[in-house]
Amino acid sequence: MSFLSIRDVWKSYFLHGKRIDVLRGVSLDIERGELVSLVGASGAGKSTFLHVLGTLDAPAAGRVTFGGQDVLAMNDAQLAEFRNRTIGFVFQSHFLLPEFSALENVAMPALAQRRDRAASFKRARELLDRVGLSARVDHRPGELSGGEAQRVALARALALEPQLLLADEPTGNLDPATGEGIHALLREVNRDLGITAVVVTHNEQLAQSLPRRLRLQAGKVTAA
Amino acid sequence: MAAEAHKQTAYARGMLAAAGALALLGAGLFVLSLSRLDAWGFSLPLFLYGGVGWGAPLLALSGLITGLQGQDGAGAAVPGTAWLAMACWAGAAALLALGTRRRSRVDAAAPSEASGAPLHPRLATYRDFYWSTLGAYGGGILGAELLLVLLQTWLAGAVNLAGATVEDGGPFSLSPLAAFSVAGTAAAALALVAGFLGAVRSKRLSIPELTLGLLYFGLPVPLLLTAVAMSPDLSLQFGYRLREVMYLASLIGRPEASFWLAYAGLVLVMVLGITCGFVATGSGRVDLRAGTELFIAGRHVNLLRPRFLLGTLCVLLFGILPPLLLYAVLRAAEAAVERTRIRALGEKDPLAASEALHAWKLRELTPTAMMTSLSVGGVGVGVMALVIVLSVMSGFELDLQKKILGTNAHAVVMKYSEDFSEYPDVAKKVAGVAGVAGVTPFILNEVMISSEGNIAGTIIKGIDPVTIGSVSDLPSNIQPGGKLEWLTHPEQVAARLSLKGGAALDEKPARPEQPAAARDPVLDDALVQLERSPGAGKQAVLPGVLVGRELASSLKVVVGDRVNVVSPLGGELGPQGPMPKSRPFRVAGIFYSGMYEYDSKMVYIRLEDAQSFFGVKGVTGLELKVADIDDARRISRTVLQALDGYPYRTKDWGEMNKNLFSALRLEKLVMGIILSIIVVVAAGLIVATVIMLVLEKRKEIAVLKALGVPDGGIVKIFLAEGLQIGVAGSLLGLVSGLAWCLFIERVGIKLDPEVYYIPSLPVKIEPLQTAVPVVIAILVTFLASVYPALKASRVEPVEGLKSE
Repeated sequence: MSFLSIRDVWKSYFLHGKRIDVLRGVSLDIERGELVSLVGASGAGKSTFLHVLGTLDAPAAGRVTFGGQDVLAMNDAQLAEFRNRTIGFVFQSHFLLPEFSALENVAMPALAQRRDRAASFKRARELLDRVGLSARVDHRPGELSGGEAQRVALARALALEPQLLLADEPTGNLDPATGEGIHALLREVNRDLGITAVVVTHNEQLAQSLPRRLRLQAGKVTAA
Repeated sequence: MAAEAHKQTAYARGMLAAAGALALLGAGLFVLSLSRLDAWGFSLPLFLYGGVGWGAPLLALSGLITGLQGQDGAGAAVPGTAWLAMACWAGAAALLALGTRRRSRVDAAAPSEASGAPLHPRLATYRDFYWSTLGAYGGGILGAELLLVLLQTWLAGAVNLAGATVEDGGPFSLSPLAAFSVAGTAAAALALVAGFLGAVRSKRLSIPELTLGLLYFGLPVPLLLTAVAMSPDLSLQFGYRLREVMYLASLIGRPEASFWLAYAGLVLVMVLGITCGFVATGSGRVDLRAGTELFIAGRHVNLLRPRFLLGTLCVLLFGILPPLLLYAVLRAAEAAVERTRIRALGEKDPLAASEALHAWKLRELTPTAMMTSLSVGGVGVGVMALVIVLSVMSGFELDLQKKILGTNAHAVVMKYSEDFSEYPDVAKKVAGVAGVAGVTPFILNEVMISSEGNIAGTIIKGIDPVTIGSVSDLPSNIQPGGKLEWLTHPEQVAARLSLKGGAALDEKPARPEQPAAARDPVLDDALVQLERSPGAGKQAVLPGVLVGRELASSLKVVVGDRVNVVSPLGGELGPQGPMPKSRPFRVAGIFYSGMYEYDSKMVYIRLEDAQSFFGVKGVTGLELKVADIDDARRISRTVLQALDGYPYRTKDWGEMNKNLFSALRLEKLVMGIILSIIVVVAAGLIVATVIMLVLEKRKEIAVLKALGVPDGGIVKIFLAEGLQIGVAGSLLGLVSGLAWCLFIERVGIKLDPEVYYIPSLPVKIEPLQTAVPVVIAILVTFLASVYPALKASRVEPVEGLKSE
């Protein structure tokens, strides 16, 4: 049984009364501990695919299984809990909560799960330390640079020890040097913590450096 | 969503036109049947109900009742025409349903390539209506109403109005208000729990089930009660069984209003339960914890800034405009000073200046912050106004009650026949009843009183000066210069001396013009004493009379003056009918009760003098004072029981002044409702504020959802934000309202005593009554935040997170 398994997933969007089929019967298997990159033309549906992988969006048809567990059979609340426990997200924009400090942002996933406050904040401090931001724990997102904010977002994604990390163009808004730092962190996390990661990227350099490459084209996913 | 563009509503125009015609025909037939019966008042609720389908059974029931009562013609006419009307309406509704259908364009197209692929489980279990939830809501509201009616009857109905114990009345005999507190709480609890369970089952707000439940299960009881109150026939049938409910409802003057108020209250409580149920189960299981949500909400709505809270309190306390103007002026001055400073700084160090400018800009209020302050202020104004007005009205009511009950008795015992001469024994028996604090006999009659200056019509009351103090405040109301004891010892009243020569001014040696046969023994005594007395010019001893201050000033008399009391009854038969009886009295004291009616209309004499004046041996009745004013009805019923009922009867002060006090209560209720409109408007402002907050934080909601906060958690967050505004506003309003009440009480707002009979505005802060506006404001703001909070939870994570 593979870690993450997708069978025959269909998804379409509706624009001006027209139906656009983005995913057409996609099937895919990902094993635990893999580091996968996904490339494709702009507008091909990479983000959509990632959202379906991360159960943020529901496909029109198809099956998504995590270790044999059918996630689509769960109701909204169970799904939210499952997602919270198993998957961590990093997006192109950092999407940090602006009214909370970096420490509070990283602690938020644990707080949302009603875990012990002291333990949540302690772990948040450790994570921020790991991404190299212990000097910035009390700063608000508005007071951080782009790279620093993205690192906080990565720390937040790791807050609940997820088994799967999904990154949607994490360095799209950053300059190459800073971006390289983020890529290094991703590789580190995959190697040291054994977290499976799927990275959607335009960056050919990064794509080449990752062990497994996939391409999304015409609604189908193939090895690149 | 673009998906809706696929569907089109196909109207079958012919069917809809037919439906409209049938509905009109039905309405016409119903009007016809009503006019034949001349029964608009009774039938109006049924007419309304006919529109939703309950009308036919109710009309049949009423037809049966009238038929059983033997009215021919009318009873048969009702079901006939009305059945036709119902049939027309049912047909119209059916046609309407058939003629309106939404046909989807997608059905007509060819199947997509994905046909046959495994269906998403959520589509497979798409369901919108839960029968169990409908059962919970409908059963809850109906059960709550029935519980209220039954408990009220059971708890307060042990003794019936004539004083005899009722066999099926139940073991308790609580006062009506106490019974209502218990019954009301029980019914509200039932409605709350039913709403909670229904929402837990369906995990949604379930508006369709709520509407159906309220309409079909909730409306019949208040409608039936209104019908019973308004229709004499039904009152005869059911009025006795529902007597406790009717009595309670009529305490505010209009029973119908009470029924619908109680219904509205139960509905609100159930909606509260539903909201709690939905919020609690948003995470899939019942989860009442809200710690994280409060933490997040608190950061969004940053209310705990001391300057803001203090500022709002000042605005409420000192009238709204002056502090706001002051604030605007201060801010403008501050801005001018700061801008000058920055410019001066900029000429020296541009970077520092731009930093100062940035810091200054950060201090500007965001639109949501301004709206939040407005909302808090709005709720505060509403609560403050309610607290002040209700307390002042309570003060007026208490003042009136004190004055009325100071002069009048709490209860009276009278006899159905004319002759009540066994009153000393009855008084002894009554004094022994538990709860009775004082008994005194009295005689009441209407007479005319004349002085040298004027004539006035008054009510004369014969009292027992010894025991009157245990029942009324009359002894303490007597102004200095007069004494109650002078009624018993009239010889101690000094006549007013004239300015010249010491002769008493009212001395008229002439005899009163009365036929010789009707010599007044008392007067004869007095005159004999006068003739016998050693010194000429000494005043005659006349029986004493106590006169009210207003009457005294209109008659131009003071203590010691002589007045004539003329009674139209009891005199000898003369050529033109009974001759009026006249007797002189001497003013023994002037009293001031504080109420114009009593001070200008009442005069008091000794009971024995009254008995001899009117030629009776007995009294009109016995006045009672009870230990607990609010329980007077029950105590007077117990007294009646002790006297074995007929031929005696009792009345309590509530009955005797029923119109006045129920008018006061109704006025207070209406004033409270009108002022609550302020709170409702403020709630609307809160809806707008929370909507703005939701719109501002759409991305954040999406992020929170991606982080694992469930839908219910999002609802809790925004409910908490709305609730924070409501609670802050209510507390500020309560504090400022209480401050104003204390100010009015201590320092006082002067009133013109000639006009108002009160020196200054009265205030009475009743804790329960003061808590009501606060509770209502918090509840209303809670309910107002429900809709925006639900909208917030509908934000899809992906929609919010799409990068621009």
